[in-house]
Amino acid sequence: MERNLTPDTDPPDPPRRSFLSAASTAAMGGGLLVSYGLCAAYAARYLYPARDQPTGWMYVAPISRLKKGDSMRYRTPAGAAVSITRQGDTGTVDDFIALSSTCPHLGCQVHWEAQNNRFFCPCHNGAFDPSGQPTAGPPADAGQSLPEYELMIDAGLLFIRVKLVSLG
Amino acid sequence: MSVIKRWWYERVPVTGDQLREMTNEPVPSHLKRWWFCLGGTPAYLFVVQIVTGILLAVYYQPAPATAYESVRYITEEAAYGWYIRGMHKWAATLMIASVILHQMRVYFTGGYRKPREINWMIGMCLLLCTLMVGFTGYSLVYEQLSYWGATVGANISDTVPVVGGLLKNMMLGGETYNDHTLPRFFVLHAAVLPTTMVMLLVIHVGLIRLHGVTELSDGDEPDDEPAHFNFFPEHFCTELTIGLVLMILLSVLATCLPATMGPPADPLTTPEVIKPEWFFYVTFRWLKLFSGTVAVLTMGLAVFLMFIWPFIDAAIRRYSRYTEASVWIGIVGVFVIVGLTVWEAVVAH
Repeated sequence: MERNLTPDTDPPDPPRRSFLSAASTAAMGGGLLVSYGLCAAYAARYLYPARDQPTGWMYVAPISRLKKGDSMRYRTPAGAAVSITRQGDTGTVDDFIALSSTCPHLGCQVHWEAQNNRFFCPCHNGAFDPSGQPTAGPPADAGQSLPEYELMIDAGLLFIRVKLVSLG
Repeated sequence: MSVIKRWWYERVPVTGDQLREMTNEPVPSHLKRWWFCLGGTPAYLFVVQIVTGILLAVYYQPAPATAYESVRYITEEAAYGWYIRGMHKWAATLMIASVILHQMRVYFTGGYRKPREINWMIGMCLLLCTLMVGFTGYSLVYEQLSYWGATVGANISDTVPVVGGLLKNMMLGGETYNDHTLPRFFVLHAAVLPTTMVMLLVIHVGLIRLHGVTELSDGDEPDDEPAHFNFFPEHFCTELTIGLVLMILLSVLATCLPATMGPPADPLTTPEVIKPEWFFYVTFRWLKLFSGTVAVLTMGLAVFLMFIWPFIDAAIRRYSRYTEASVWIGIVGVFVIVGLTVWEAVVAH
């Protein structure tokens, strides 16, 4: 008598085989995702610029060079423009104020308008008083002052604390 | 001949009939009017931009010390450099204008409605990509206005809550404009954004083919006129005609109003009068009217509402009796945008 060796239906996979199949698929899929994620993280870190620029004291000028009411432009090693003004005559660091020329609104350069006694930003009509406080335009609406730099006097010489290196 | 045909068919098994069937989408008769072909216009101009952009990239050097000089060389010394740069500049202008007009046409004819909502959103992504390409391209010249335009643009992203600082740092490659900035803009302008746009365009056109073009009717079509005509060759010829008109127009503009150069970028002096490109006038004016974060958030909200407009419109049509409210909202929107643009154009500050 001839026997039919072909079963009518495929036998069900043993649980161990389906478990191993699912586990290996998950491991491969997970591994792929982790490797892509790692590459993306490395790429993001590569694209994100270096942080934590060191700061330090830089020599500006002898204090005798600036009389009360005088101001001068100073450019930091990182390329930022600073306006340094002498407002007093006591011979201490409180006589001086160093304001960034970069408008805190959207980064344009302010310039001094002597006739209006103010710093003016031509980009969006922002205005600041001589101490850097906002008086008009979007900076006044948002309460954004001109950033101030720290100053120091040593042996009659004026120093400013700035970022030391350019990112470039 | 048949030997060549057979050789070719064995390697590319597509017959002429199959090709005809694939390309011969029946096109509604309203597309005989050119203003319904404004979607193909930016696509055509995009190709012009790729070709002229590749040519410009041969001489352009994306670094602060060399960028301005390399653009000057292209404009003043390289043979026909003035023409290629002029074509690139004017094709960009026309591309942005035609994308805006195309979007207005789709909006006012309700072409974004079910089932084309997703294609509207892809179109919005294309609009934003087009504006970003315009912004980064303008910045590459490294003249005064482009330098300060880039600075303002980067600082606008800085005012976005939570992720603003990250966006700005990624865009500029630092806290302020520096030596790493121009290469980033160049990579965005010449590689990342165009590749993204090609992918979006494939999906955009693919969905149009799958859904078919929106059927529109003026109500005054003659009865004996067929409602559709063939894509190939009739509509293809219309697009060719538009292509020819655009080439003539671009050549005339590049010759009569050539791309010029302003003074080179000076990071220590913002010009007394500063303006971005015309398509950012509305943004620039808005930034003067409101403080940074308020202006940016309201603009972001407006873009988001435009993005999901098909669903808002569907809700209005379903739940209110103002079924054509979108038309009036659109008219108000256009008046606001045109008004702010004109306002910014006519005043110095």
